[in-house]
Amino acid sequence: MQKYEKLEKIGEGTYGTVFKAKNRETLEIVALKRVRLDDDDEGVPSSALREICLLKELKHKNVVRLHDVVHSERKLTLVFEYCDQDLKKYFDACNGEIDPDVVKSFMCQLLRGIAFCHSNNVLHRDLKPQNLLINKNGELKLADFGLARAFGFPVRFYSAEVVTLWYRPPDVLFGAKMYSTSIDMWSAGCIFAELANAGRPLFPGNDDDDQLKRIFKYPLTLTSVSRLLGTPTEDSWPGLSQLPNYRPFPMYHVNTTWQQVVPKLNSKGRDLLQKLLVCYPPDRLSAEDSLQHAYFVDASSGPK
Amino acid sequence: MAGNFWASSHYQQWIIDRQDLYRERQHDLKQLTEEEYQKVMILFANVIQALGEHLKFRQQVIATATVYFKRFYARNSLKSIDPWLMAPTCAFLASKVEEYGVISNNRLITTCQNIVKNKFGHAFNGEYPYRIQHVMECEFYLLEMMDCCLIMYHPYRPLTKFCADIGSEMELLPVAWRMVNDCLRTDVPLLYPPYLIALACLHLASIVKQKDIKTWCAELSVDNDKVMEITRTMVSLYETWKSYDEKKEIQAILAKMPKPSPSRPPSETTSMQDANSQQQQQQQQQQQQQQQQQLPSGGV
Repeated sequence: MQKYEKLEKIGEGTYGTVFKAKNRETLEIVALKRVRLDDDDEGVPSSALREICLLKELKHKNVVRLHDVVHSERKLTLVFEYCDQDLKKYFDACNGEIDPDVVKSFMCQLLRGIAFCHSNNVLHRDLKPQNLLINKNGELKLADFGLARAFGFPVRFYSAEVVTLWYRPPDVLFGAKMYSTSIDMWSAGCIFAELANAGRPLFPGNDDDDQLKRIFKYPLTLTSVSRLLGTPTEDSWPGLSQLPNYRPFPMYHVNTTWQQVVPKLNSKGRDLLQKLLVCYPPDRLSAEDSLQHAYFVDASSGPK
Repeated sequence: MAGNFWASSHYQQWIIDRQDLYRERQHDLKQLTEEEYQKVMILFANVIQALGEHLKFRQQVIATATVYFKRFYARNSLKSIDPWLMAPTCAFLASKVEEYGVISNNRLITTCQNIVKNKFGHAFNGEYPYRIQHVMECEFYLLEMMDCCLIMYHPYRPLTKFCADIGSEMELLPVAWRMVNDCLRTDVPLLYPPYLIALACLHLASIVKQKDIKTWCAELSVDNDKVMEITRTMVSLYETWKSYDEKKEIQAILAKMPKPSPSRPPSETTSMQDANSQQQQQQQQQQQQQQQQQLPSGGV
């Protein structure tokens, strides 16, 4: 560990403290994530193990790079590439204004990162502004894979207790235990709206019920086939009532339009957003398909 | 991670050259013959299999644990860490990585004690000596030695695909599947990519079942020499098994096996290593500092 000079504490991650540090040899600035081993039940925590083993395989410019894992005495330290801030802090500092080109660039990079993970059969499962890092070149990187998992055959039941409430899709809120890449696509949709509104979260629910209520009051497309408004039903979402935590919700009166929800987003952007925020999981647009959407068809779509 | 095997740490760091493997093993082969070494590896693959079955792991988790074990001893002598400790450690780590869920400490150690007593009494005398603290400490060394490459590709998935492709899920798959399990008792998982192992097992299964898959094989563009190498290794494993009685022979082999120095329990052995590496790090750091001091200050 003497290789690194600790500079300052940056934050607390899922399983340990994060420091900014300098590599004494190369003078490179890195982020150090110290893994706490205080819980003597588990050995190296599985969230840390998941992050280590997945990031060891995932090398992409929109995924935070794990440079090294350093073992010393009874400590484990993960050495990451350093990014100046996360999207949450970026929102806090933007004064309610984000240039539409920046919105597009961030969204494009977010989708590229997700598409890469999904093509490697990795679900992130906890996408939110705090987990998206931004460096000074305006590059966005997916981070905090502590809840991520590799998926594949055989299909298994995953823990339903993932994804921070605000970015959680309705199927997971209803206790769906089988989910796939669509879980990350809902979160991407929520983040897209938040970007377009310069950091105002789309569905800031207080609890599961409130979260679902907020979602169903929006003019959501329930499936790509039937365009219904408001609360989903068994007709618009086959299998809905079989979900473990399903309970009926009243039919809410929808009193907003997408134009009111994201006034600064152009019509193509609104179309993409609607295709991501689809209640019925199989009809949610994939990351790969999202990148082909007309919203990105112009010169400024790449990372700035 | 079914993603991209060719970009994976498994392919890039953990497909080992046969010569390298034998070179690393030379130290242990001074005390054991090659066949005896294999028999030790068979024993511990069986221990991990039994542990996994008792803990209700899927076969994939058992396979991952077994390959972790092989990776460790591919780069280390059997005397560096007692394999009786390494085996449960590999199971412990694999269960977390494969998101099987953490096994409770008590359960892991109790299962070890039971298995050693009831199933491997012919190989282990007395009480199982290790506790969970030993396993956790050992986990550290295992992780470090594998350079944190934990995601593993197994032949099961390509095998299932091949069998579906041939349309022989009922006939060939179960036989070939068991052969894939058997290959965990050889060096094969360290030497070849999983899809080639799957092909070799399929080839052997087709012989056992007398099913002609030549036309299907002819359409594949794979390195047939390698498939044949794997097949030969498997055949020689089955030859060994024919005349091998583990219950009678293993004690004598284990007695010859290089062991951690008895004066030091494993925890001390490892902390000694740690101290050494720290010393080295300090030396390196001093050198670096000296070098840095020599740099003109404007350059830093």
